[in-house]
Amino acid sequence: MTAAPPPSTGRELSNPPTDGISNLRFSNHSDHLLVSSWDKSVRLYDASANALRGEFMHGGAVLDCCFHDDSSGFSASADHTVRRLVFNYNREDILGRHDAPVRCIEYSYATGQVITGSWDKTLKCWDPRGASAQERSLVGTYAQPERVYSMSLVGNRLVVATAGRHVNVYDLRNMSQPEQRRESSLKYQTRCVRCYPNGTGYALSSVEGRVAMEFFDLSEAGQSKKYAFKCHRKSEAGRDIVYPVNAIAFHPIYGTFATGGCDGYVNVWDGNNKKRLYQYAKYPTSVAALSFSRDGRLLAVASSYTYEEGDKPHEPDAIFVRSVNEVEVKPKPKMLPNPAT
Amino acid sequence: MGINGFLVQVLATNRVFNPSQSNLLLRMEKICGSLLYELQIIWDEIGESDAERDRMLLELEQECLEIYRRKVDQANRCRAQLKQAIADAEAELAAICSAMGELPVHIRQSDPNPESLKDELRAILPQIEEMRKRRIDRKNQFIEVLDEIRNIENEIYRSDGFASNDPAIDEADLSIKSLKNCAENCRHSKRKVRAFYDYCSHWQLQDVATSLLELWNLMDTPIEEQQIFQKVTCKLAASEDEITEPDMLSVDYIDYVKAEVSRLEELKASKMKELVLKKKAELEVICRKTHLISDKDSAMETAIDAIESGAVDAACLLEQIELRIARVKEEALSRKEILEKVEKWMAACEEESWLEEYNRDDNRYNAGRGAHLALKRAEKARALVNKLPAMVDTLASKVLAWENEEGIEFTYDGVRLLSMLESYTVLRQQKEIERKRQRDQKKLQGQLLAEQEALYGSKPSPVKNQNVKKDSRLSCGGASKRKLSLGAPILQTPKRDMLPSAKATPNTRKAKTNVRINQDRLKDDGLSALSSGRRVSDKAGLPMKQQSPILVKAREPESPMLRRPFTPISTTNLSKPNASNISEDLNKKHNEMLHKAVIINNTPFTPPPKIISSADEENRTPQTTAITLPSTPSTVSVPMQTAITPAPLIQTAIIPALSVEDEIEYSFEERRADLCCLDHNQ
Repeated sequence: MTAAPPPSTGRELSNPPTDGISNLRFSNHSDHLLVSSWDKSVRLYDASANALRGEFMHGGAVLDCCFHDDSSGFSASADHTVRRLVFNYNREDILGRHDAPVRCIEYSYATGQVITGSWDKTLKCWDPRGASAQERSLVGTYAQPERVYSMSLVGNRLVVATAGRHVNVYDLRNMSQPEQRRESSLKYQTRCVRCYPNGTGYALSSVEGRVAMEFFDLSEAGQSKKYAFKCHRKSEAGRDIVYPVNAIAFHPIYGTFATGGCDGYVNVWDGNNKKRLYQYAKYPTSVAALSFSRDGRLLAVASSYTYEEGDKPHEPDAIFVRSVNEVEVKPKPKMLPNPAT
Repeated sequence: MGINGFLVQVLATNRVFNPSQSNLLLRMEKICGSLLYELQIIWDEIGESDAERDRMLLELEQECLEIYRRKVDQANRCRAQLKQAIADAEAELAAICSAMGELPVHIRQSDPNPESLKDELRAILPQIEEMRKRRIDRKNQFIEVLDEIRNIENEIYRSDGFASNDPAIDEADLSIKSLKNCAENCRHSKRKVRAFYDYCSHWQLQDVATSLLELWNLMDTPIEEQQIFQKVTCKLAASEDEITEPDMLSVDYIDYVKAEVSRLEELKASKMKELVLKKKAELEVICRKTHLISDKDSAMETAIDAIESGAVDAACLLEQIELRIARVKEEALSRKEILEKVEKWMAACEEESWLEEYNRDDNRYNAGRGAHLALKRAEKARALVNKLPAMVDTLASKVLAWENEEGIEFTYDGVRLLSMLESYTVLRQQKEIERKRQRDQKKLQGQLLAEQEALYGSKPSPVKNQNVKKDSRLSCGGASKRKLSLGAPILQTPKRDMLPSAKATPNTRKAKTNVRINQDRLKDDGLSALSSGRRVSDKAGLPMKQQSPILVKAREPESPMLRRPFTPISTTNLSKPNASNISEDLNKKHNEMLHKAVIINNTPFTPPPKIISSADEENRTPQTTAITLPSTPSTVSVPMQTAITPAPLIQTAIIPALSVEDEIEYSFEERRADLCCLDHNQ
């Protein structure tokens, strides 16, 4: 084995999708990586072995995917379908449909339900157990103020970000109405929303190079902790060029988080101490998605042009899997003790 | 043994026979004896030998035995025949019973002492007769039912020929159950027929009810008249079995309703002209609403007049008008989007002219009734006016696209919409030129005044001072007068033009009020980059000033260069001399750039990198130096650039989220998905 140092961007996976990557996710049980793409496929990779383990073709671009357990997953497609994918048997079936492309999908271990958000301005909850009949799998439909752009789950909480900068927070045990109806603190279109692993709040990113750190606790004390910061910007000739922040991923152990932007960079931040911990080497094109492995030792980066400047020639879409060093993600507490947190 | 011996044996069996039979046998015995005796005598006379006598007696015995045997055989045969007959009869009975599915009325009793065969036969024959008769009856019943079914089916299926054969009857199954089945089939067929007739009647009823409704609608029949037939029309959607009213499906009732329909049709014919005119009016209304000129068809006019004379078929004319209405409605639909935009544009133009009026009003800053409302309206109006060029451009491109697609001009009340837009744009440009000229003039005047002050001290000569004051007051609030004196057309004077001149004469009360109000504003909304910037540099991690999220409508481009009224003043501008001049210059530049920016926005996709003005940059310089953007990874942890309510001070507001062409925002994925769809369609 030649001791060639791994490239600074991480190891590139072979057989990447042939068109843009919409999302990628590590499994909770292994180093399997599920990737959804605009080439209408969902691919399952073994990230450590750099091998393609499965491929599912859909009727339209696949906008999101998630794992159920290590043997099955779900996908959300622009052909309006929500599908269940069984990896070992390479079988898939349609769990249900929306009236417009399905943008987000999550599986809740707490309720055992699949939750999807769509551009038809609804959320739908599905029960994937038992009967495959579509009519019986739909548990409920919940109207949203606008098209759903991003979603995140933690414990029993679901955060939904829509067009028009609306944010709805739901308690999965009572979906009849949102627990909180909020508006993004940022002035521009929401790009991505991710809940903190400790369940106290969520991070929300916009197209204007900014991330807001929000908290569920609506009391004075709770809301006093919230703030926003600028990121993924470039200074040039005395002016700032600002890039959309497409992806946020939280480290499962340290609670620090990485952001990926259209500037091609991945930054790692310490939200509590309000510091940037690390910046990885620039990727060939926009970072479309990020995911940490279950033990936080690997970071998958989707380097894939996200059409922020329309249809134009761009670098080929690629997936990089890099090892994560502790120093890059471990928080560094402040020198001076902070009385209030 | 001789004859006598034989007879003795016969007599011995006498007990089998009854007395009369025994008597007969005794007599036979006697005759036999006497005959034998006679034979003896004859033989004696003849002198027959013993051997011969034995031989003849043996012969005689044989022959007698033969006869007896024959009789026995006969009797045997008779018995066998009887038995057969009985067996046959029993078989037939069983067959009939099984076919009929029932037992005979007289059930045979199994006698411990079997009767004689003849008795048996005697017993069974009437039973058979009975069952045969019943079978025939049953068959007849079947025939009756099947005939009925066949007739009904002939009727339903319209078969003209009558079957020459009898309907097929299954001889093996003549049970009551089977008969009941047949009867059920028959009833079913009858029901079918009835349902069919009901359906026909119902269909007629529905047909007639529909005609009724159409006629009522067409002729605005009064409610009272309609009520009479309400029970018909309200059942229009009902199925046959839902019609429970007695006789509703009867021929008489249907005829009654039909009569009403024909009455109405006559009425319709007589009201035709009225109807045609009504429809024509409807057409005109629709045309008006969609700002289409309804082509005055002179041919149609004369046709309408000719209805009464009967020369023109009113129904046909009505149809024509209906067609036209449908076409216009379709057109209206395709015009809807553009018309909505035209409404918006016109509303904006109205606000524009209101704003012009308002700007000319000297007293607008007085705290009179509704002054604050007017202020608000003015602010909104200014925002709207800024959007006007973009609105016009968008509208024009949409109209052009529509014209290309439809292949005809888009007219608005008879005028080509594009020409309207063009003339508006030209007018605006003219106004712009005039405004620029005004500004240039003022600048010149301002410079002159400044020179004067420099030369002659702070107070110009009283005469001049008065003039200046007058002028300045005029310039503040009465630019219109100046304009009038120049003979220029009344132009819109945005407020920004006012203030530079106000600054030139800082003593005017107006200027002071402005500044004071500005300062208040500074405190209030905290939107100033300056204050936020400063605070940020002091500590990291600030509480967000706004507790409740603010709903942002279309964000104005706010530039510190362009100092619009009631917007915060940045230090950079205040520190500079001749701020007014620079502001004016930049003002012009801004307008140009805005226009350019607007033009740029009309491209389908707008680039995300936004340019933030240097003023913002200045505020952030402390942080900027701290952040390194390394090409090699660094482990230096760096503070975040946090800010309170971020004021994006964006110069050329090229915002992908809110592109000016649509008011609806789209995410990158949505646009990309659209492209994908387009690809597929191609």
